Amino acid sequence: MENSTQESHLRSDNSITYESPYPIYAMAFSSTPSVANLNHQRIALGSFIEDYGNRVDVISFDPETLSIKTHPTLSFDHPYPPTKLMFQPNRKSPSSSFSDLLASSGDYLRLWEVRESSIEPLSVLNNSKTSEFCSPLTSFDWNDVEPNRIGTSSIDTTCTIWDIEKGVVETQLIAHDKEVYDIAWGEARVFASVSADGSVRIFDLRDKEHSTIIYESPQPDTPLLRLAWNKQDLRYMATILMDSNKVVILDIRSPSIPVAELERHRASVNAIAWAPQSCRHICSVGDDTQALIWELPTVAGPNGIDPLSMYSAGSEINQLQWSAAQPDWISIAFSSKMQLLKV
Amino acid sequence: MATGVQIQERVPENLKKQLALTVQDIQWSYAIFWTISARQPGVLQWGDGYYNGDIKTRKTVQTVELNADQLGLQRSEQLRELYESLSAGDSSPQARRPSVSLSPEDLTDTEWYYLVCMSFVFNIGQGLPGRTLSSGQPIWLCNAHYAESKVFSRSLLAKSASIQTVVGFPFSRGVIELGVTDLVLEDLSLIQRVKTSFLDTPQPFASNKSIPVDGITENDKDLTGPAFDPQILDTKVSPLLGCEQIEMASPNDSSDGFEPNQPAEGSFMVEGINGGASQIQSWQLMDEEFSNCVHHSLNSSDCISQTFVDHANVVPLCQGEKDNDNGLEDVQECHQTKLTSLDFQSDDLHYQMVLSALLKSSHQLILGLHFQNSNHESSFVSWKKNGFLKSQKARGKTPQKLLKKILFEVPLMHDKGLLESPEDNGVRDAAWRPEADEICRSHVLSERRRREKLNERFIILKALLPSNSKADKVSILDDTIEYLQDLAKRVEELESSRELTELEERMKRKPQDHVERTSDNYGNNKITNGKKSSINKRKACDIDEAELEIDYVASKDGLTDNLTVSMNKKDFLIEFRCPWREGILLEIMDALSTLNLDCHSVQSSTTEGILSLTIKSKYKGSTVASAGTIKQALQRVARKC
Repeated sequence: MENSTQESHLRSDNSITYESPYPIYAMAFSSTPSVANLNHQRIALGSFIEDYGNRVDVISFDPETLSIKTHPTLSFDHPYPPTKLMFQPNRKSPSSSFSDLLASSGDYLRLWEVRESSIEPLSVLNNSKTSEFCSPLTSFDWNDVEPNRIGTSSIDTTCTIWDIEKGVVETQLIAHDKEVYDIAWGEARVFASVSADGSVRIFDLRDKEHSTIIYESPQPDTPLLRLAWNKQDLRYMATILMDSNKVVILDIRSPSIPVAELERHRASVNAIAWAPQSCRHICSVGDDTQALIWELPTVAGPNGIDPLSMYSAGSEINQLQWSAAQPDWISIAFSSKMQLLKV
Repeated sequence: MATGVQIQERVPENLKKQLALTVQDIQWSYAIFWTISARQPGVLQWGDGYYNGDIKTRKTVQTVELNADQLGLQRSEQLRELYESLSAGDSSPQARRPSVSLSPEDLTDTEWYYLVCMSFVFNIGQGLPGRTLSSGQPIWLCNAHYAESKVFSRSLLAKSASIQTVVGFPFSRGVIELGVTDLVLEDLSLIQRVKTSFLDTPQPFASNKSIPVDGITENDKDLTGPAFDPQILDTKVSPLLGCEQIEMASPNDSSDGFEPNQPAEGSFMVEGINGGASQIQSWQLMDEEFSNCVHHSLNSSDCISQTFVDHANVVPLCQGEKDNDNGLEDVQECHQTKLTSLDFQSDDLHYQMVLSALLKSSHQLILGLHFQNSNHESSFVSWKKNGFLKSQKARGKTPQKLLKKILFEVPLMHDKGLLESPEDNGVRDAAWRPEADEICRSHVLSERRRREKLNERFIILKALLPSNSKADKVSILDDTIEYLQDLAKRVEELESSRELTELEERMKRKPQDHVERTSDNYGNNKITNGKKSSINKRKACDIDEAELEIDYVASKDGLTDNLTVSMNKKDFLIEFRCPWREGILLEIMDALSTLNLDCHSVQSSTTEGILSLTIKSKYKGSTVASAGTIKQALQRVARKC
């Protein structure tokens, strides 16, 4: 149990730091509380070690006492760093056994059952015909309307939609001309993806032949690295470009023209997350060690939009999660630390 | 100037009929009566309306013959019904929509506009109805579809519905709004006509009270004179920043800047501003067929726009003069070319359907919960422009280092063992680039699969060859042809020599079918190498065959190393043959232990420089590595020399 040290030059009362034995990248919040203490929030942390042996640890966080508890048994190996971790959203687990479903992406999409004191591997979802050739996944998203549906994005330019209950592929689409870097669900059958070809495309599973480009990076072929769809207000999406300090906000009703470009980071942006409880707020973190919370106004001033609030961490912040289960807390990851910040 | 005529407080019963008659008389598209909300004073909401515009389909199920008037009334009723059901559906998404006579697909764009209007509310002084009510003056808006959102918040909707003219005038504690799809220049006499028609027709109005419509009816602002507006507009032209325009349009100022008030008439028209002002509303000049299925979502309170200093564009405002037309056209062209270059229009219909699905199922706008930043407990502090004093320049490191590694490098780590040379990567990448033809996606997918299969086979073939110089398909095929011819020759030689030795050895051992066995070797040497255990039982006296095997084995590529990995839960059985060299056994054990394999039984023998291993091991971690990974690792070891 650690409290934050002097990372922030500013206030540090209400933040909790967890020091991990290895650098962290992937991070996920559970949507269901732990059965032992309903206030305990589970967080999964994926290591980033540039080698075969990586680990995923699940820790729990108590917002009342501001403490973090590690569980040595809630841990498993992962081949190479997991590119993303995510718990099943809105999980309704059987009342008898309190378990959570965690998905990890790397070479394949893997599902794990996180129980009280152990993690059991459930399945490995592999779409390739031969065992040697796999298309590694860059990211995935769990559909919160359809809990058995996961969409994955891969470097082979395709997006694959899985039915995880049956363990089969629902469909596989060639989404882009180059590697797909991120995918986000809007609704049960609509998703969007970003790619190295610099476009944001929306796909509808009912009409797989067509996709719509709703934004293209101004310098052609500038990869778009991350995408976040505002689940509270499906009209808006945010994306970040490679080597750019801008967060681009898009309105899906007006393709190709960004609604806003949030340009207050002093270095490139690494991650973005919409607020789970408000449709107007978004948080972004970057290499300038800052986490900024923005409020999108109805009308912007001439000089652009200024953030609402900020936080400075000790080093470049690589990961950001704003969980719906804990809307008051934002978690960030930098070097080998995970920090929980009260909003 | 006649301000609103106070007839009564409530919406009269036959107001709808009145609206109907009026709009039919002047042949406009719709009439809406905005009334002060009973629940929220100071807010205008939908009171009643009549739709007189285009209808897409006529519901054929009509048991009763209705004349045109009644049809029109029925249509308006049905539109209202549809609106109620949709809004009910929104608030409780799980509830099934009550069946209505109309469904969204039956509506034209103009009908959608009319329907969406039902969801609008205006504060007094805001929006066209609001400003009408507050100023007490009629407002005549031309080119409503080009108007700024501030002036006319439904301008985008109007654009999709092709509503070009909107007129509002105060009436009976509310505002009557009329709209038409044609461009009608301002004509106050029309307003007069409408008003008188309302007054003349005998109506059983309960004139309970005679409360003046609004306090803000005096022509204070009008008295500033005609000289007022040119000044305003002139001074506003020069600055290029959009914010000043926003200030101009702020309802608090009661849109003075936009009202070139001519006291005689008391209505207003707005002059377009040429050239300079470079504000673009983010969705101002969208494609013509903007999604007409968006409903509920364009409340005046939630537009987000940002000024973009982009190619000099004309601010599209309502205007009545010809000289501004060109400006508007230019802007339209500008954006049209931008849009067409994105090849957007062809997919428009599909995208509209996507949007309608998305936005129908989305919840009502949840305006942000209290986002208090003054919360003492927060870890965040208010943002200050120069709040971060230390210069946090990137320190010369690569930006987004970890993110890039996760996206670019980590996925390739998984494939490390398979592709030996960048040329292979080239082959693979080239194969994966799908065709540019976006229409036949399914063909592209199957074509891509076919190419992928072909490339896979080529790589396997390349691995089978003893000497590979180049990785391009032609060289691979050439080398294969050569090799096959070579092998065929050898087989012939062997067969002939075997016939001789067979006679001798017939006594000693069972006649074995060498030829078939040899061809078995050919046949089985695929990636999915699973049946090679027979090789292990070969007798050492078959020197020729051993030679053959060694040729295979001595090849650079590890795939012919006669490697089998069989798995049973956590137990692995590995059978492995490779050329022996010093220390190789240790390296193999090392490789296996890094993969978390705990070897508990090892049998090894070295024959003719070939090491054959049989290892039984257990997996000691929680995750099981795939057979592929183990094979890769072992082949890597075998290849080192």
